[in-house]
Amino acid sequence: MIRGYFYQPNSSRVQEAIARLNDSHIAVYADDECVCESSVETLQVSAHLPGQASELTFTDGARFVPLDVAHRWSFQSGKSSLLAKLESNLVLIVCALVATPVLLYALLFKLVPGIAVTAVQTVPDAVVEQMGQQSMALIERTVLLPSDLSEKEQAAVEQLWLDTVSQLDLSAQKYRVDVYRSEHFGANAFALPHGQVVVTDELARLLADNPDALRAILLHEIGHVERMHSVRLASQAAVASIAIAMLVGDMDIVAEVVLGSGSALLDLQFSQNMEWEADNYALAQLHRLGYSGEHFAQALESLAELGEEHEQSWLKYLSTHPSLQERIEHARSYTPSP
Amino acid sequence: MDSTSTTTAAEPGSQSTPSQLLFTGNGKEYFGIWIVNLLLTLVTLGIYSAWATVRTKQYFYGHTLLDGHRFDYLATPIQILKGRLLAVGLFVIYSMISSYFPLVGAMMAFALALLVPWMINQGLKFSMRMTRYRNIRFAFRGSYGEAMVNFVVLPFVSIFTLYLLMPWVLKRIDAYIHSNIRYGDKPVQVQLQGKEYYAAALLVMLLGILMMMLLGLAFSLVGGININPDELGAVNFGMFLIVPLYLFVISALQGIYQALIRNHILNNAQIDEVAEFKSTLAPQRYALILATNAAAIVLTAGLAFPWAKVRKVRALAEATQVVLLPGADQVLDTAQQAESSFAEEAANVFDVDISLT
Repeated sequence: MIRGYFYQPNSSRVQEAIARLNDSHIAVYADDECVCESSVETLQVSAHLPGQASELTFTDGARFVPLDVAHRWSFQSGKSSLLAKLESNLVLIVCALVATPVLLYALLFKLVPGIAVTAVQTVPDAVVEQMGQQSMALIERTVLLPSDLSEKEQAAVEQLWLDTVSQLDLSAQKYRVDVYRSEHFGANAFALPHGQVVVTDELARLLADNPDALRAILLHEIGHVERMHSVRLASQAAVASIAIAMLVGDMDIVAEVVLGSGSALLDLQFSQNMEWEADNYALAQLHRLGYSGEHFAQALESLAELGEEHEQSWLKYLSTHPSLQERIEHARSYTPSP
Repeated sequence: MDSTSTTTAAEPGSQSTPSQLLFTGNGKEYFGIWIVNLLLTLVTLGIYSAWATVRTKQYFYGHTLLDGHRFDYLATPIQILKGRLLAVGLFVIYSMISSYFPLVGAMMAFALALLVPWMINQGLKFSMRMTRYRNIRFAFRGSYGEAMVNFVVLPFVSIFTLYLLMPWVLKRIDAYIHSNIRYGDKPVQVQLQGKEYYAAALLVMLLGILMMMLLGLAFSLVGGININPDELGAVNFGMFLIVPLYLFVISALQGIYQALIRNHILNNAQIDEVAEFKSTLAPQRYALILATNAAAIVLTAGLAFPWAKVRKVRALAEATQVVLLPGADQVLDTAQQAESSFAEEAANVFDVDISLT
């Protein structure tokens, strides 16, 4: 005899009731009158939750909820209690506490970049071309201005570029350089995925007397294009967003903050790795073409000197790039692997 | 309360005593559920998250009791999983397009604004339909046009009034949401006052400015010692403090606003002949709870989350009373008949939450 509430189907009416269970038959009585009976096979029993009685739902939608919150039915399947057992198992909880951060790290920092790198190989050239052109259109509209450099200065950059590209046996049609004035970027160069490299006026002026240093920077940018870094970043972002969307489904705000900063860190680490890759590409090509890492080191030093005057942009530079000092030392000590 | 009485109508004017909303869950039990959910979600690469959502909701709904009867969460994990996969799929396509084709992505963002009202309506509909009390499901009947006006057009317009219109817009949004909720065949009615929203917004803004000034003062005093550009460490240390302090202050301000607005909504809402609501949430107490919750979560790297969530839900329940009127026994469930399968699928995709308590 189990005391509880009987809920009538599709109505808010509730009756205090008593359930009697005989073998595989259950009957519910309210005011000494049988209001519902059924064989236990046709009953639906609710999930096993701590502190909540397991309720019975009859085929017509009527329900019986025992008053005793710890009540479980003898005919309830053991499967539903498994989770509840796990959730109150101290050993498992401790294991979960250790395993969760480890898994989160593995997922975000190993699996996601792994999938992203694989996904890059499937991106068709036409998509890369579009991606580059559309990004350039946006950047050009927002932060780039026509160059202030004289025809001669521009031609010097262009000539240096053509020499470098032909020395590398790369397609001069795909790889092209443009000079723009930009307050946003300062002395800088950046590469777009489809092979367009942008050099700012400030950078061209800064290295005007040292064309080999500028060549080293251009090689670094070509390295980004050759290694498809932009495409990898985009695919990384896409894969990370899938992972996060799936995980956050149930993790509330905290997890969002943790995962959000995790993925920001990830972006940072990813972009730092890419800088190293582009550096190594530039250094290897410098050696192959008969120049040395010293030229790259000089270029970085010029940028570093500039940096001290603009504390702000220098800090910004630090965040996505490895420390300049480290990169300069790396450039000086670089020996090409055979 | 004698629920067996069928149509024994109450004498006019006889008010039942208010029933206290009870929350009977505890942090220890929920911690177990939470950590197991997290672990299984990670192990299954997110698939288990649907089961985790259902289990968490079942725990919280089932531990919320009114007049001795618990609330029920009815969605099945498969329902949630299907919707989530579809939503995630769409989201992936969207983020791929916007990262590979930035120009097309910008246009898509605009198109998405047209979908927002639909998503909000279907989301509310879904979460209401999945909520049951005493064999009666809740329902939501909103229209696309009204949702468009309230959630997209008016907030956009308020930008041009320097957000002076915003409290009024928020009032309209709350009125829209609550007056379209139904308990079975009985609609909820609310009478909201714009001035309450303006008062709450003004109070929170003034407090916010005050707190910012105090924090600024404190930091310039602390920072004054290390105004040395070479010491990057000092800057980082400052950043380390700013984030938790910011969270603490924001949570406190949020608590004040939410408490004021919640009291206003519930104290002016009723379901005809079924229930009247009463909320006595003290703003300063709720602010303290939310702020210390945020601090505890940050300081324990997230481990205090289950405790914090239970603490918040319990405080909300403790501040809520419901007067059940005689008609509470005679509500009929109609929500099930009025749903097309399309609406269900659509609602499944975007299971937007709004909290019940």
